[in-house]
Amino acid sequence: MHQEAAILEIIRIARSLFLQNRSRMAALLSTKTLDCKDLHGYLKTLSSYTLDRLYNHPATCLAVFRELPQLAKHYIMRLLLIDQPVSQAVIGLWANNKYINDHRRAVQALTDLRIWYEKPLPGGMQGRMVNATFKANMKTALLGGGKPWTGRGGGVLPPDKNSRDVEFLDKYALERWECVLHFMVGSTEGADGVSRDTIEVLKHSGLMKVEEGDPVPYITPAGFQFLLMDTGSQVWYFILQYLDMTDSRGLDLVECLSLMFQLSFSTLGKDYSTEGMSDGQSRFLQHLREFGLVYQRKRKEKRYYPTRLAINLASGLSGIVTDSHRQGYIVVETNYRLYAYTESSLNIALLALFSEMLYRFPNMAVANLTRDSVRAALIRGITAEQIISFLKSHAHSEMVKQTPSLPPTIVDQVRLWELERDRFKFDDGVLYSQFLSQADFEKLRDFAKEQGVLVWDNTNKRVMVVSRAGHDSVKRFWKQQKNS
Amino acid sequence: MVNVMKGILVECDPAMKQFLLHLDETEALGKKFVIQDLDETHLFVAVEILPILRERIDDLMDKLSFPLVEK
Amino acid sequence: MGGNKRDKKDKEERRSKKYKSELDLPSYDVDDDSQEVDTKSGIPEAATRQVTETSQEDEFGAKDYRKILELKLDHTSRPLWVAPDGHIFLEAFSPVYKHAHEFLIAISEPVCRPSHIHEYKLTAYSLYAAVSVGLETKDIIEYLRRLCKTSLPIGIEEFIKLCTLSYGKVKLVLKRNKYYVESQHAEVIQKMLKDPVIQECRLRAEMEDSTDGGGDKLIQETFTKPSSILFNRPSQPQSLPVSSSAPNLLSQVPGPSDEAATKSTENGTEAVPSDIFDYYDKLDNDDDEGEDMKTVSFEVRQDRIEDIQKRCIELEYPLLAEYDFRNDTVNPDINIDLKPSAVLRPYQEKSLRKMFGNGRARSGVIVLPCGAGKTLVGVTAACTVRKRCLCLATSGVAVEQWRSQFKMWSTADDSMICRFTSDAKDKPIGCDICISTYSMLAHSTKRSWEAERVMEWMQSQEWGIMVLDEVQTIPAKMFRRVLTIVNAHCKLGLTATLVREDDKIADLNFLIGPKLYEANWMELQNLGYIARVQCAEVWCPMTPEFYREYLTTKQQRKLLLYAMNPNKFQACQFLIRYHERRNDKIIVFSDNVFALKNYAIKLNKPYLYGPTSQGERLQILQNFQHNPKVNTIFVSKVADTSFDLPEANVLIQISAHGGSRRQEAQRLGRILRAKKGAVAEEYNAFFYSLVSQDTMEMQYSLKRQRFLVNQGYSYKVITKLAGMEQEELAYRSKEDQAQLLQKVIGATDQDAEEERLIGDPSAIGRKVGSMSSMSGADDAVYMEFNRKSGANKRLHPLFKKFRK
Repeated sequence: MHQEAAILEIIRIARSLFLQNRSRMAALLSTKTLDCKDLHGYLKTLSSYTLDRLYNHPATCLAVFRELPQLAKHYIMRLLLIDQPVSQAVIGLWANNKYINDHRRAVQALTDLRIWYEKPLPGGMQGRMVNATFKANMKTALLGGGKPWTGRGGGVLPPDKNSRDVEFLDKYALERWECVLHFMVGSTEGADGVSRDTIEVLKHSGLMKVEEGDPVPYITPAGFQFLLMDTGSQVWYFILQYLDMTDSRGLDLVECLSLMFQLSFSTLGKDYSTEGMSDGQSRFLQHLREFGLVYQRKRKEKRYYPTRLAINLASGLSGIVTDSHRQGYIVVETNYRLYAYTESSLNIALLALFSEMLYRFPNMAVANLTRDSVRAALIRGITAEQIISFLKSHAHSEMVKQTPSLPPTIVDQVRLWELERDRFKFDDGVLYSQFLSQADFEKLRDFAKEQGVLVWDNTNKRVMVVSRAGHDSVKRFWKQQKNS
Repeated sequence: MVNVMKGILVECDPAMKQFLLHLDETEALGKKFVIQDLDETHLFVAVEILPILRERIDDLMDKLSFPLVEK
Repeated sequence: MGGNKRDKKDKEERRSKKYKSELDLPSYDVDDDSQEVDTKSGIPEAATRQVTETSQEDEFGAKDYRKILELKLDHTSRPLWVAPDGHIFLEAFSPVYKHAHEFLIAISEPVCRPSHIHEYKLTAYSLYAAVSVGLETKDIIEYLRRLCKTSLPIGIEEFIKLCTLSYGKVKLVLKRNKYYVESQHAEVIQKMLKDPVIQECRLRAEMEDSTDGGGDKLIQETFTKPSSILFNRPSQPQSLPVSSSAPNLLSQVPGPSDEAATKSTENGTEAVPSDIFDYYDKLDNDDDEGEDMKTVSFEVRQDRIEDIQKRCIELEYPLLAEYDFRNDTVNPDINIDLKPSAVLRPYQEKSLRKMFGNGRARSGVIVLPCGAGKTLVGVTAACTVRKRCLCLATSGVAVEQWRSQFKMWSTADDSMICRFTSDAKDKPIGCDICISTYSMLAHSTKRSWEAERVMEWMQSQEWGIMVLDEVQTIPAKMFRRVLTIVNAHCKLGLTATLVREDDKIADLNFLIGPKLYEANWMELQNLGYIARVQCAEVWCPMTPEFYREYLTTKQQRKLLLYAMNPNKFQACQFLIRYHERRNDKIIVFSDNVFALKNYAIKLNKPYLYGPTSQGERLQILQNFQHNPKVNTIFVSKVADTSFDLPEANVLIQISAHGGSRRQEAQRLGRILRAKKGAVAEEYNAFFYSLVSQDTMEMQYSLKRQRFLVNQGYSYKVITKLAGMEQEELAYRSKEDQAQLLQKVIGATDQDAEEERLIGDPSAIGRKVGSMSSMSGADDAVYMEFNRKSGANKRLHPLFKKFRK
């Protein structure tokens, strides 16, 4: 089949082309791919004031540092102990020309995150200086000193009588988290444990919506996409949305973020004390408890255990896949059959988003992947890639034994079903025709082209189409021309 | 003079363009809707036809498919 | 998703389709399943039974059995789920797989068998087949219970009882040339004898009639169950050595598959629950052990056999036909044995064991993929029975093949084998092995004087075994006629594709007998017995000009446009070139003769179709096989069943018969014969289906694939053949394409049709509401073409009626 592979380009849909298509369609379908930022992307959106305050804690600095591009980490290490600005030219020499792009990325990242800033050297040359707060706290993080983190020593806890092991915590975390998902899919199970705050976050993030006259929120296309993401990405996305709302809750964003970053340095299976937490942080902790990021036996208890969800959180999307410890449960067959080894109604509800359920046995469900079921999912805003990656990331151990784990024909077909919906491109536009002179036509066409609103033209026929948005300016230009 | 018309620019593959032209010529959607045939892959059509047209295209795709699995 | 919201969206999506499309199904969309079953009588009522179940639906519309079924504690070590509606799901990766799958094959119909989880279905018919190979009701239920991960649904237990208790209990046995109705269950015989019709059919010994009541005395017998048949065991062991390369041909010695099963259990004893293992042993050995059996029987009047068979079906005790050929002293043995070189593969042997399991010959159907050696199974069966044998094939070419296979595998020579065809000059009267075609026997027009004599002789004979090749292709009517002419003790049907229509029982199966064995395609492929085929569906966009014409032309001419699409032509040309460079042998199939000729002539390749004379056909085929310069041939559907082309490993399909799943499977079979020394590559054979995009062909294509997809094959969709741009291909320019279009438009309506062969029911337009046939025996009786008669021009009267 090697030769075969060489000559038969078997429907490889360039992902870029694909996304391009999607975004073009977006306006018409009013769906878009869920925008899930990584840590860097998120921090960039914060004000410089917030960032500066954030760097007030060693844990935050270390967490941010950890996620920097490799080269940027090196730069910081070199600059950390220098107290005056360093010439940009000098910094530019630290990286080989071959890695100029890496260099640029590193510079950009450090600038975006306000880890360094530009400062002229005495001689007038442009230099860079590391943010003083960041520097101080980063030093503490690396060299020691400062106040203890996350309740360490804030009051030494006696050994826990009801100490919890990792297995328990993992189970607890997923159960709690799945309550949120259960609520989203509207399944009856486990939906009781969802607070109003959670619902507010879901609505704020656009994952769910409330229709007038219906008190129960319903899921949006973005929500469907959210459901198909892996747990780590889900939690991260959700927490970002939560953080976005701290102001309206009267919480301090910086306090929350600091706690979050501190949690990310805690050890799974170890207990920590709530001693020394601010009021805001205590409230934040209760929310984290609800989502399953920390375990606390009772609300008032001074002891809590961070779960895997919290510990992996600060690494944003680049972190380890949190689902890896969960057993894959889906078998995908070449004849479009799906078998799901699961008792979880949530898992079934997710599968039913894009498949047709046939049988439910006590520990297994049978479903068919059909054109109709996949199309229904596509119409809801779920993309082919999301379906495929969902099936891939939950593949049963028998599937993982083969490479690729999913039957290629099934993957192809799901993509083809999506492409089938993209065969036509419709754009609102305005047609200009019957120009009296070639000169008129060319003048107007060139103007439209300059404005970037020309979508189609034919010189011989003297016909052109401009976008609806560009029509007004083209029309104005034409009138001016006629009048002059 | 210039003639200005609002509408929808349709871009598709040549065969599908033929399908639209066919719908237009046979007035299968109740009336003509193609304002101008631009080139092999482009048509300019009336705005109001779009919902019906989409439905009709879905119809065509439905017809070309066949359930891959037996129930 | 909250049910309501989902429904609402679905409704929106599927808004009333107001417009009727011009792309409606054309009238020639006849699928395998739409054959009219002409006789409903003759099918026991129970056979039409289905599992009835009342189950709840969950919020997604799935059948929800969670409350009814209880999961066993050790469910992970048990391999299957049984749904109350009769569907069974089997984990192919379970350590108990081997034990379970042999059993499921025997009691249920395979629905689909891809890689990981296989689906089977219990049907009345499948259970009937189970009983007839010797399984008993209590064993079926008990073993199923043990294999099941959950409790066994109550309805299933009842269904099994309902279907099996009355079936297979009574046998029609021919002993010393007398017919007996025999049963191990005295009460059943007593019950039957109360029926007046059966009483009439019973042959009472005149002598005992004088003493009162004596005539009612039943014959009671106790005999030791004979050990089962040893295949490839020469009848005189001293004269012919058993091939040393095949030590496990003896049925007592477990075949490789059994060995593997035993080994796996030894390695992981805890993996297979002992209750399953023990029972499997019991079931497996049941048939082979010599044990004492008590039977009760009565003799039947030979002239009333038909009546009693019919009556027994009505009474729901269908008579199983078994032939005790070893004790048949009336019909002389024929001197035929397998050659030592004939080595049976494990699955071939397995299938034969099902047939001869109890030392007698059971009638039934054996299903093996094309290229998996069906002929050898047939020959072995004939060598085992060693009585006069009639072998029926679908065409003259197939007759030749059977003849050569008999000579290759068995000790039979030309003096014993005779062909009865219109071409052959053999003198069949008095021969031991007669090979003929279905049409030769069944057709009712006037025959030559000689042929008439042969027919008389055939009718007067008592045949030991009748081997029926490609049995799924024969319509029931024709089959009935054959059965009224030929009296055979045992009937063996061979087929590759018994396309099942779930619960619908075709009388064909009752006329021959139950399905005895069905092989798993993927398993044979993985073991290297059949070729590894890469299936691909190549999407060829219609050129705008062709598509325009396609949209406007009348229904029956559309076929011509999608067959002649220049892009398809180029794809075909490109693939031929590519594979010829690899030194492959390529067959291109086209059901449409107009396309066939145009493609072949343009590409300068030999082609053959209906009207091609026998001599010319053989010449083309021989060239294809032996001449290194002839690597590609174009064939019409006459080649579907008739030719065997062992050297071909690439098949390109440019025009096919609607959505026929069976034709697709048969065509795949043309390249399935395992290739020697081709292990290195992942695939060693290629099957391309060229499909014109946005035409009805797309739909047909998906439909056609369904059977193979259920066997575990997957079709790669190829939207672009890489490298095609660089090749010099025909019809590149718009002018050339326009000329081609003109040619297509200029073609006659007749050109636009698929090739029609006499007696080919597929030429009949779709009949609304026709019933389905389980065998899929719809479309093809591919008869030999008699050129002189000019039959190809003859239109079927029904055809005229249905297509104006």
